[in-house]
Formats: sequence, structure tokens, C-alpha cells
Amino acid sequence: MQAPVVFVIAVALAFDFVNGFHDAANSIATVVSTRVLSPRIAVIWAAFFNFAAFLVFGDEVASTIAKDVVLQNVLSIGVVFAGLVGAILWDLITFWFGLPTSSSHALVGGMAGAAVAKAGFGVLIGEGLRKIGIFIILSPLVGLAIGLLLTVAIFWAFHRYRSIERLNRGFRTGQLASAAAFSLGHGANDAQKTMGVILALLIASGHAASDASTPLWVVLSAHTAIGLGTLTGGWRIVKTMGSKITRLQPAGGVAAESGAALTLFATSASGIPVSTTHTITGAIVGVGAARRLSAVRWGVAGRVVWAWILTIPGAFVIAWSTFLVVDALS
Amino acid sequence: MDHRAAFFLAAAIVCFLLVPVSNGYAWVSAGVGSVYVLLALASWLDARSQRRI
Repeated sequence: MQAPVVFVIAVALAFDFVNGFHDAANSIATVVSTRVLSPRIAVIWAAFFNFAAFLVFGDEVASTIAKDVVLQNVLSIGVVFAGLVGAILWDLITFWFGLPTSSSHALVGGMAGAAVAKAGFGVLIGEGLRKIGIFIILSPLVGLAIGLLLTVAIFWAFHRYRSIERLNRGFRTGQLASAAAFSLGHGANDAQKTMGVILALLIASGHAASDASTPLWVVLSAHTAIGLGTLTGGWRIVKTMGSKITRLQPAGGVAAESGAALTLFATSASGIPVSTTHTITGAIVGVGAARRLSAVRWGVAGRVVWAWILTIPGAFVIAWSTFLVVDALS
Repeated sequence: MDHRAAFFLAAAIVCFLLVPVSNGYAWVSAGVGSVYVLLALASWLDARSQRRI
């Protein structure tokens, strides 16, 4: 394998690491904010299930990223590199401002920007981008609905229960399972995006056939990278997710994580790359809205929505500029 | 109409607007839209019963 290919694979794994680092908050914010686990134990818990996801899910999302965003004949080492740089820089910028944006959509925007810089807008695959675009809107709404319905179901099931202390203890234990399920879904959907980028690179450089499935070493290295990133954690976003959107109790944490995990399981199995950030944010808003709309701090939620809207264009522009620089230098 | 019901109704409208462009996933958009219609109705009834109390 040539040195440039190895270098870009390392950059892709670095993106995966940053993704785990950036999105660690999604997996652990609710368990940390409800004091079920200490931050240190929470990241170890989440990292383990991020890694274990490769045992449960296939590679449908990886295939969508590799084959359904831009035409394969335009992919080159330079395009994949510039796309990754766009996604990583956007992630770091939004991380600096404490905004829980989507690493997934940064990756899609980055790949699209670099490919367009090389060969124009005709290289974008409308059908694949449309599927991703529809689920940008649907995934938080699905997470919100499931989070809300689970919260209402919990209220109904336990409203006669008098020992609040014992009830909270039960839900604290339940949160261990729901956080594990969410981390599993996060590992499945997000690690697969990096696997998709590496698969695209292997196809572009002639190391894999165009109809190849993801090699095992790619699967294992992607899950390891996201697990290590999660282990390193991202505390700025924990604060926004865990307490600024709405105050969470253990029962609400269970509902939010379970709602988001169900959404991620369904989309991962269907090969749809959704944002874990969008999904858990929607589910947390759903838990708050089950009480009343004013329980949700809409100013913070609105700021998050603006970051979502800007993610694809932001990563697109950075990747587009990076490709022009790489192209000029080479 | 209470704010929460209006919010759910707006979410339902967004979902139904996505149906024509969703191709293979139109059933998802339509299903989620229907859930939000039910949530809007339930929220409106909840607010109405609370006002009566």
C-alpha cells in the first residue's frame, strides 16, 4: 500500500477519534448529569459499547457513505483527504464553541465539497444526498417522539408509586442499560461512516473492487478509534447536552437514551447515516416537552439547530478550499 | 390552542411535506407525521382538561 493511502487512512481514523471525542457527550451526558456514573467511569462504559458495536451491526451505513454521496470515479486520495480535513476542522470549530453539531453531516459536507472542487456539482449523487437530507430532519423528530412517549409511559406506569427515592434508584440502574444501548447505536452508526470513507479510499486507490464489502481490519480499526476518542471525552458539550437543554431526572435519562438508541438501531440496520447528536438532542427535548414546552430551554435548542443548518455548508466550504490548496501543491 | 399542541402540529406538517420527496422512505415520513398528529390531539385534550380543573 502506498504512503499517501496509509496517510489518508490515518487521517480518517483521526476523524473517527475526534468523532468519538466530540460525541462522547451524547453517550454519557445524561448518565453524568443524573449522577448515575462518574464522568471517568461513564466514558469507559460508553467506549466499551462503542467498540462492541461491530459485533452487532453490519456495514450498510459504510456502504452508503462510500457509494451514495459522490460518484466513485471522482474519488481520489486528494478528494478523500480534503473531505476529511473539512469535517475535522468543522468538528473542532463547533467543539470550541460547545455546540453539539453532527460529525456525520460534517463528513458528508466535506466529501461533497472536495468532490465538487475537483469535478463540479455533477458528481453529487442526488438520490443518496436526498436520503441523508430527509433523515437530517426526521431523525431528531423520531427521537423526540419516542423520548416523549417513553416519558409519558413511565409517568403512567409509576404515578402511584410513593417511594420516589427507591424509584430513582431503579431508574439509575436502568440508565446503565439505556446508556449502553445508546453507545452501541453510536458506535454502529458513526464508526461505519469512517469505515465508508476508508472503503471509498481503498476503491479509489485500486486496493478494493467497486462492489467490495468492508474488510475486517477496517471495521476493527474504526471501532477502536471511536472507542479511544470516547475514552478521551468532551466535557464542553456534556454541559450543554446534560443540563442546558432541559434538566433530566434518571427516568428522563432512561427515556431519552432508549428513544435515541431505538432510532439509531433502526437507521443503522437500514443503512441510513443519521446524526447521533440530532437524535439524542431530539430525545432530550421530547423528555422535557412531556412535562411542558417551557421545560425546554428553546434558546439553547435554537442555537443547536442553527449549528445543524450550518454544518454541511461549513464543512463543504472548508473541504472545497482544502482541495484547491492540495491540488495546487500537487 | 396550547403551545405544545401547536408545536406537534407544526412537526406533523413538516413530516407530511417530506412525504413526496422521501421516495423509498415515504412511509417513515407519513408514519412519524401521523404520530405527531396524535400527539397534538392528546396535548390539546390534556391542556383542555387542565383548564377545566
